[in-house]
Amino acid sequence: MSETVLKMEHIVKEFPGVRALDDVNFEARAGEVLALMGENGAGKSTLMKVLGGVWPYPSYQGDIFIKGERRRFRSPREAMDAGIAIIHQELNLIAELTVAENIFLDRQPANGLGAIDWRKLNTDAEALLGELGISDIKPTDRVKHIAVGKQQTVEIAKALSRRASILVLDEPTSALTDREVSELFRVIRGLRQAGVCMCYISHKMEEIAAIADRVVVLRDGRTIGDAVAISDITLDQIIARMVGRELTEMYPESARQRGAKILDVRNLGVDHPSLSGESKIKNASFSAYRGEILGLCGLMGAGRTTLVSAIFGAYPQATHGEVFVDGKEVNIRSPADAIACGIALLTEDRKALGLFLGQPITFNTTISSLQTVSSPPIGIIDAARERAVSEQYAAQLNIRAASVDAAVGTLSGGNQQKVLFARWLNASPKIFILDEPTRGIDIGAKVEIHRLLNHLAEQGVAIVIISSELEELLGLSDRILVMNEGRIVSEFSRETATRKAIMEWATGARRATE
Amino acid sequence: MRGNHALLFIKTNATLIALVVLTVALAVADPTFHSARNLSNVARQVTIVGIIGVGMTMVILIAGIDLSVGSVVGVAAVVVTLLMQYGLAAWLAVPITLVIVGGLIGVWNGFWIAHYRIPPFIITLGMLTIGRGVALSLSSGSSIPVADPSFAALGSAYIPPVPTLAILAIAAAVGGYRLFKSRRLGRKAGAPPLFEKSLPSVIAGAAGLLLAAYVFGTGDGLPVPVAIFVVIAAVAIFVLGHTRFGRRLYALGGNEEAARLSGINIYATKMIVYVTVSLLSALSGILLASRLNGASPNLGTMFELDAIAAVVIGGTSLAGGSGTIGGTIIGALIIGVLNNGMSLLGVSSFYQLIIKGLIISLAVWFDVLQKKNWAG
Repeated sequence: MSETVLKMEHIVKEFPGVRALDDVNFEARAGEVLALMGENGAGKSTLMKVLGGVWPYPSYQGDIFIKGERRRFRSPREAMDAGIAIIHQELNLIAELTVAENIFLDRQPANGLGAIDWRKLNTDAEALLGELGISDIKPTDRVKHIAVGKQQTVEIAKALSRRASILVLDEPTSALTDREVSELFRVIRGLRQAGVCMCYISHKMEEIAAIADRVVVLRDGRTIGDAVAISDITLDQIIARMVGRELTEMYPESARQRGAKILDVRNLGVDHPSLSGESKIKNASFSAYRGEILGLCGLMGAGRTTLVSAIFGAYPQATHGEVFVDGKEVNIRSPADAIACGIALLTEDRKALGLFLGQPITFNTTISSLQTVSSPPIGIIDAARERAVSEQYAAQLNIRAASVDAAVGTLSGGNQQKVLFARWLNASPKIFILDEPTRGIDIGAKVEIHRLLNHLAEQGVAIVIISSELEELLGLSDRILVMNEGRIVSEFSRETATRKAIMEWATGARRATE
Repeated sequence: MRGNHALLFIKTNATLIALVVLTVALAVADPTFHSARNLSNVARQVTIVGIIGVGMTMVILIAGIDLSVGSVVGVAAVVVTLLMQYGLAAWLAVPITLVIVGGLIGVWNGFWIAHYRIPPFIITLGMLTIGRGVALSLSSGSSIPVADPSFAALGSAYIPPVPTLAILAIAAAVGGYRLFKSRRLGRKAGAPPLFEKSLPSVIAGAAGLLLAAYVFGTGDGLPVPVAIFVVIAAVAIFVLGHTRFGRRLYALGGNEEAARLSGINIYATKMIVYVTVSLLSALSGILLASRLNGASPNLGTMFELDAIAAVVIGGTSLAGGSGTIGGTIIGALIIGVLNNGMSLLGVSSFYQLIIKGLIISLAVWFDVLQKKNWAG
């Protein structure tokens, strides 16, 4: 049997007021993929930060053994030198540099004069990519020009160039398409063959079943049971360990009734920002109804986000076409106009496009609907009312935080997402558009969000949801629109929608006969 | 744990502590420093940079910068004195100058920054040169005297001691009432006792009021420019902390794209901020001209640096999204006290520049350190 290369014993890590890790124990072997699972806030990322030297010794208690030797990392550099590489959810690549420059960042081969040896840099990078079986990106490609899935493999190549023997992948597939995921899995399997020890953090059960050898579950900062071979445990058992209770249905039943048409989009087009004459969205027409959940499906780059952002007034200069709300034509020139029309958009990238990380929950909750907590003439904010509103949402949405004064930057991903939900709920939208609302959040929170969406639909809100998880769209939506290359190519009702048919349209395998 | 508390206290109130230490040290080193007359002078000197600093805080809060404020001071001083030379009464010349100089320059800066997204650093750097050129050409490069007593009153008159003390008493009463109310509110909401959290600012406020009573309740009373500054600062503190507009500034500076997608009108917000800072700078220029009984086209040179320094020393982040007017006032006081103290102690003006520069660097370093603390 392969040797144990990583062992973490009795790890405890405390933050002011919280014990994020509370006696964590596990070990990982060479040539295996160990899945680390747990809900948001369970401590997975904190644990990996301890391992990676981001939280240096002695800011934690406990012992880390690498190949049987006790190590105490005082900086990320020391951890790296010990052969540990962490690939974070948010990639750490420099978009303007080439693939090869990124792989050998700060360790570029130099010639006698100290200048960079470009030829060696590129051939070395090519060799590394070759080892990973990647042939469709060139070392000289700029990172900003390659797809997210490929960027992930560049990160892996970067790790390997340092001869990493322990590779941590933190939710590596959260931004990848199905094809990119299978490509990544091929790379991971290759590394397993080569004896690399991999810790794989993910929320997605199908992935764990497909790629992991063993699985260890974290809950509330503790390891629940020992690591188990994936063949010896069922998915239901894993979930039970994660949530500490049996999970009720993933997609709760709902007795909603479709109401009147509320949103009508006709021939909406969005010009390409840099290529004149090109369009990112072409002639999109669709309607949404009160009390209905409309799914918007498509592969990465199909234009889903662009379409909903355009409706929300994010690109006033580039957008043309007609939008009707409640039968009246509206001219939406900015997100403020859209909000005034009763439209809300929960954005995809919560950190870049949604939250004010340094500000408290209260601030983030009320920023889009300050009129609800302030008096009209000069807009004086009633702090007590604001607090009460925020606390009410925190309770309703089960937001876990010390208090509503906590900066949202200190919350876990799922809780941050819930704060964004609170913001838009407080704006009382008639049309609620959600772009990947459950990406990167745990199953418990996911079910809560599904339930909430059903509840909103029952109250007569029109819901438009984008998700890369087809299962989720199939489970939630009353209708599904499929997009491909900037067009809406087909529509399915709940009864007619099948995974296969949708994928055929989304991938462009089937096209409407012109 | 106790040590941690003390450390946290020092960290969160570093500038206030620095001001107190500096003041006490100077009072010990030179007895003339703490005379009511000298302190009143310090207050008056602080107002010019302080008023600009209030506007600059708002600009830096939205992750912008305005380098043209010093030139606006110069242009406003020249324009207001010229208008009066042409026979305009002071009560007309002042508002016209505010609108023409402050308003126009603000709209110009705001337009390029908000509409064409030109980096504020560049556009206001351009305005710094343009403004100085305008001041020089309007005045043909020479000083313009004014001999209008009603204009001079703006910068040199006093509110007598008795009404001053009455105003201070009212301020103390309002402060006490607010504290009482917020305590009750905090207890009802089950929040950590606000009193404990805001203890330093309560003590600072009380000490400030007592000091003000000592400085302005004796002698000539409260200088009018100081009163104007206090009113402006109070309004700004209220607007930033308690209104929708204030929220928009923090949101815009924290994450512009998120602010836009939250429905905030970025264009209008930026425009208002750049117009405000220009208006306040023009007001500073007018006060300065009034105090000097005339204008020189070089008035306000390098004021942008003092204003930015006050803001940064006061803890406002150059990255935007966090900062307070209270901090800026403390920052302006530190600079004012330092200038005054060093002059009293006979430190050469060459060394004064070096020391001021070092303090600014120190303040920015401190800001970066604090950022790091919660970045993980």
